[in-house]
Amino acid sequence: MQAGIGTEHDLLLQQKKKNLNKKRLDTWLLLLPTLGIFIFFFLLPLFFLFITSFKNFDASTGVGNEWTLQNYIKFMSDPFYLGVVWRTVKIALLTTLITIIISYPVAFQISRAKGRTRNYLTLLVLSPLLISMVIRCYGWVILLSNNGVVNNTLLKLGWIDQPLTLLYTELSVVIGMVHVLFPYMVLSIMGSLEKIDPSVIRASQNLGASSFRTFFSILLPLTLPGVFAGSVMVFSLSVSSFVTPAILGGPQVKVMSYLTYEQVAVMLNWPYGGAIGFLLILIATITIIAYSKILARSEKGVAIQ
Amino acid sequence: MSYLSLENVVKTFNKTEVVKKLSLGIQKGELVSFLGPSGCGKTTTLNMIAGFLEVDGGKIEVDGKPVHLLPPNKREMGMVFQNYALFPHMTVFDNVAYGLKLRKVPKNEINKRVLEALEMVRLAGYEKRYPKELSGGQQQRVSLARALVIKPKVLLLDEPLSNLDAKLRQEMREEIVDIQKQVGITTIFVTHDQEEALAISDRIAVMYEGRIEQVDDPASIYNHPKTDFVSQFIGEVNHIQGKVLETYENKKCKMHFFGNEQIVSVPSVKNSEVHFFIRPEKIQIALAQSNDRNEAFQTKVERKMFLGAKTRYILKVHDRHLIADISNTVLNPTEIKEGNSVYTYWNPEDLLPSRMAR
Amino acid sequence: MSRKLPKYFFNFACLLVYIFLLAPILVVLLSSLTTTEYIVFPPEGLTLRWYTELIEHPEFMQSFTLSIIVAFGTAIISTAIGTLASLAVVRRQFKGKTAIVQLVGSPLLIPSVVFGVALLQFYSWIGLAASPLALILGHIILTVPFVMRLVVASLVGFDRSIEQAALNLGAGPMKVFFQITLPIIKSGVIAGAIFAFITSFDDLTVALFIVSTDVVTLPVRIYTYMQYQYDPIITSVSSIMILFTVVLMLVIERVLGVGKVFSSKN
Repeated sequence: MQAGIGTEHDLLLQQKKKNLNKKRLDTWLLLLPTLGIFIFFFLLPLFFLFITSFKNFDASTGVGNEWTLQNYIKFMSDPFYLGVVWRTVKIALLTTLITIIISYPVAFQISRAKGRTRNYLTLLVLSPLLISMVIRCYGWVILLSNNGVVNNTLLKLGWIDQPLTLLYTELSVVIGMVHVLFPYMVLSIMGSLEKIDPSVIRASQNLGASSFRTFFSILLPLTLPGVFAGSVMVFSLSVSSFVTPAILGGPQVKVMSYLTYEQVAVMLNWPYGGAIGFLLILIATITIIAYSKILARSEKGVAIQ
Repeated sequence: MSYLSLENVVKTFNKTEVVKKLSLGIQKGELVSFLGPSGCGKTTTLNMIAGFLEVDGGKIEVDGKPVHLLPPNKREMGMVFQNYALFPHMTVFDNVAYGLKLRKVPKNEINKRVLEALEMVRLAGYEKRYPKELSGGQQQRVSLARALVIKPKVLLLDEPLSNLDAKLRQEMREEIVDIQKQVGITTIFVTHDQEEALAISDRIAVMYEGRIEQVDDPASIYNHPKTDFVSQFIGEVNHIQGKVLETYENKKCKMHFFGNEQIVSVPSVKNSEVHFFIRPEKIQIALAQSNDRNEAFQTKVERKMFLGAKTRYILKVHDRHLIADISNTVLNPTEIKEGNSVYTYWNPEDLLPSRMAR
Repeated sequence: MSRKLPKYFFNFACLLVYIFLLAPILVVLLSSLTTTEYIVFPPEGLTLRWYTELIEHPEFMQSFTLSIIVAFGTAIISTAIGTLASLAVVRRQFKGKTAIVQLVGSPLLIPSVVFGVALLQFYSWIGLAASPLALILGHIILTVPFVMRLVVASLVGFDRSIEQAALNLGAGPMKVFFQITLPIIKSGVIAGAIFAFITSFDDLTVALFIVSTDVVTLPVRIYTYMQYQYDPIITSVSSIMILFTVVLMLVIERVLGVGKVFSSKN
């Protein structure tokens, strides 16, 4: 009987081991396609570009054979290029600020709406996301050009004598960006609003506060996490954005993403373009990491959507 | 020969044994309950029988063949889950038919068997409904039909009535037992509700900390608990202790409790203290002393609570309290007032020995 | 009356914002109807001329077809591999899980222009010419993070006992996945597929780097055209793109009742 029990237990252990191995295999099979594609077509290309950014520029082949830090140094020491960085950040900050201001009323309205109205309003706010950015920006080109809608209207009203240069300016880029990134901020603020316990508002009113007071003392502070999260998202998306500044700013309003494109597609200077690209990644990532650190320290954080 | 047998079944989580060499034999057609507090291992054991957890030691056999190495979809068991686990995207009919479709049963037979199963659980006519349109009790019945229609070898129920309200629970448990007996299927019923276990089981396995404390029919569990845990877990008990005055042969002693002396069948040593449990309904009280109860002692009624069919009296004696439950037909509660002195008595046969020190 | 004033002001402000949101789209749609040879808004006269003239511009039709094929391929592959990966992430523990999750989420953090540049360099290095496949691979990277977010959200609250019930009744793991799990997480998967389709269809930044004479997606075509030409053809092409997207969304809403998807996404 002793021998019998021994082999029975061995069979059990064998089976458990088989099950465990099968489970492990299954897990990796599930991950393999995604992991494979990401390693080969995401990680590897970025890695090679990173390496390239440390090589010199060769006019005939694009990438030379010597190692150098020159690409980075050149960028960070040239006031022109630093100006581009500043412009990129400035536009992102302006975009974020304006987005916050115009998102608030809409976020409030939608969160107070119920049922179908609410669904329609949400759809309304989200629908621009369905339309290609190229088309949306082009619509602004039509609106803001010298003989565009805005200028024509202002001329007709007699408010101006000559058309204003609205297009291909930082202003047009900001307008376009606000238009594109606005839904993200609205969703973020709405996220915060939903989490507010409605009885808190009633308590404030019960204690005698006016709507005004209730808004500023109670609601506003409680939505700050959503505003914060939305700001981080809008800022980093704005800094990384390519389509909007390319169409609405063009070569006159160069931002870092455009520089990256220009260096690679026009000048064929891959190493320099790569360096600019990675510096751009750095800026975008620093914002998000800083946010996570602050989030980790406070308890009132809201996850980025 | 047991139909379903567990032999030295072990389960370890994070280096702790949560089921400790559990052995149990269940006969064909029997309804055995696993009863115990949360954490006792009853659901873990059920999951090992069903195959959702691996056995870390020992074996499980059904009809003589080992099943513990088989995956859960090959064990031919039917399971009813606590939260019903109906497929939300399928109708009642498709839910019940699912197991039959998997077994490639021909269409007209599926029809016939599903309708029969639904009739058995009294849900004929609900075929086209979706689970979310059904009440908790109805969902549970669909769950039962779904498990039984495949004619499994064993039926497993994991606290199936916990999510229902009290009245529904009583109705449903009776239905479940009726169906079980009608079909004659070997069944394991996991519950933490002792009334439920006592009401429906052929046998109850009382579990605690990964072990089976006692396996017996309900009456034996209640009247002859074998361990302190079982005594205390099932029903209610008073703890009392007595002093041995004299010992006799054939394992009897004269014990002294609260001024009463009794001959009790328990092996002991003179002058030692022995602990006992006694259930509240086994304590009797009377306003006057009677001749054939001269072992009665006096207590004071501190509180009385009317409970419908019976009244609960909290009695104070020396510095201890005793709980006595007296049927209102035996003793009219209006005759006893708080503060009264009463004569208290119990039958020495009703004492349950305990190993606890107070 | 004075108590209502702030409310009217508030609603008016919201209205202005909504107009701001829709303005460029409406402008594009309406400008496509102008009779003039240049773009003007409001349109002078109304004509469908610029739509019929599209026939003389086969390159737009070709780009449209390419964009649809690429978007379709991206949606299918992205959703399939993203759903499988989501299962692993939600239900299994494995070495390097955090690193893998961050890797798959990182395309959201990397400016897509840099990714486009890197991809172009990599493709020329391994000799992969611009093609629908090259575009699909790039777009898969952009869309899988979103697909996974949506599918993971559906899986997190999933009641595993339903799957256990299916196993208990005799279904093997594959059957359980296709007959039970998938139908229940359907809305997350479909939302992911739609999102992937639209993201791929609308993408300019990455597609701009994956071009050749016959491989030009529609957004790229529109972008290059608008830099050099000013006739209203652009607006009619854009309008068709808009209408296509709207019709697609309506069809999906009808067929799958996806309205809930958007509110549950929030």
